Amino acid sequence: MKEELFVSGRNIPNIDPYLHIWHWQIPLYLYLGGLAAGILFFASYYVIVGKEKQMQTTVKWATIIAPIALILGLGALFWDLKHKLYFWQLYTTVRFTSPMSWGAWTLMAITPMSIIWVASYMREMFPKWDWKFEFLKKFEAWVIKNRVPFAWVMMALSIILGVYTGILLSAFNARPLWNTSILGPLFLTSGFSTGLAAIIWLSKDEHERKALSRIDLIFILVELFLIIHLFMGFLASSEVKAEAASLFLGGEFTVIFWVFVVILGLVFPVILESLELRGYHIPAWLPPFLVLLGGLVLRFVMVEAGQITRFLY
Amino acid sequence: MEINNRDNNRPHYINPYLGGVLLGLLVIITVYITGRGLGASGAVKSAVVTTAEAITPAHAESNPYMSKFTGGDHSPMYNWLVFESLGIFFGGLLSGILFGRLKKIRIEKSPKITNKTRLIAALTGGILFGIGSQFGRGCSSGAALSGSSTFSLGGVIVMLVLFGTGYAIAWMFKKLWI
Repeated sequence: MKEELFVSGRNIPNIDPYLHIWHWQIPLYLYLGGLAAGILFFASYYVIVGKEKQMQTTVKWATIIAPIALILGLGALFWDLKHKLYFWQLYTTVRFTSPMSWGAWTLMAITPMSIIWVASYMREMFPKWDWKFEFLKKFEAWVIKNRVPFAWVMMALSIILGVYTGILLSAFNARPLWNTSILGPLFLTSGFSTGLAAIIWLSKDEHERKALSRIDLIFILVELFLIIHLFMGFLASSEVKAEAASLFLGGEFTVIFWVFVVILGLVFPVILESLELRGYHIPAWLPPFLVLLGGLVLRFVMVEAGQITRFLY
Repeated sequence: MEINNRDNNRPHYINPYLGGVLLGLLVIITVYITGRGLGASGAVKSAVVTTAEAITPAHAESNPYMSKFTGGDHSPMYNWLVFESLGIFFGGLLSGILFGRLKKIRIEKSPKITNKTRLIAALTGGILFGIGSQFGRGCSSGAALSGSSTFSLGGVIVMLVLFGTGYAIAWMFKKLWI
């Protein structure tokens, strides 16, 4: 008798055939990371172009959200780790081919930078604020003097952070829904748009709101364009990709994606913001709230749906 | 801007006769797109059943009426009427913005009654309407509008009874409104 021994790598609980390892922490982190990237990008941008005075909320007040979002997001990411105490091993290497390595190092730089950014404006925002120690005062003076170069670095890092939140998913070549290069720009655009929405919500200055609304409109339209191309790409690709897209085109994620992300999170804010620019009275919180909600749902849907897409065999 | 020239103290609404014709056309479009008629009370029912299921699952299961809507593959909120109502909310909001009715939150009522009277009467009326619509298998949208547009006798009866009763007893309750 000839025995045959089969060894299969296919039955791996929670990984194959369906990935079931990422829960609410990951999409929340991707969302908060994108939001912080958006806020920091526009804060740095307006410092670089010298419009600090006209864009007070963008440059100062809204940036308070960024370190909080980053720290909460990193907390969620840490919560998700199986071996929490080994997280530091990410910092024992630099790997240009690994999005996680890029993300880990970018966050290592941008999180303290966002805190320093807010701290450098503390005395402007709260006139009674006192840094108590001499070395802190010296450091503050140094940051204020070098604000523009600081902003350049932070702007570059914020773009990397925003792209990385999408590339983190698209580097998974075993998941057809994620394995598309559009995800990087899509998440970057969505992150910038949610960042703008947060600033618009906070801002009380009519000119600032209008300027930001105009930019937000462009970002939302670009996002819609990217979503259309995402699906066109899937449908023009191999069967597995078409099957991944079908989850959103009649499958189980159709309603939540088209209703909450596309209609309420993108199309409706475009209508409201255009009406607002034409002088109609719109509740100030409504368009930003919808954009922020749409961005959050987009992350949850993409992470959730991506895990159940797979290559056929 | 045209909107700014208007008298903004009074809300602007569409002509009711034109509104009625548009509603009728809406029913045709809805049937064409979704293959069924409109409804509004169904979304409230779904919300009630979902809330009951979350708070007291055992009661929701044992209740003969609510159990009809629970236990499916999806939550009772996964119902087209819920999304239709979401659309009504945002569509109404858009209409309010376009016609300048959305300057600030206000309670629309006669100046002769207090806000409290108006709100309590509206809530009571809403509850009675909700109970009644479930006995009548639909509300003014689901039964009267969609029903009568398919020449359903039940729909016509609902329409007559609903508006007939309202017309008949309006005088008795006029102090809650005007």
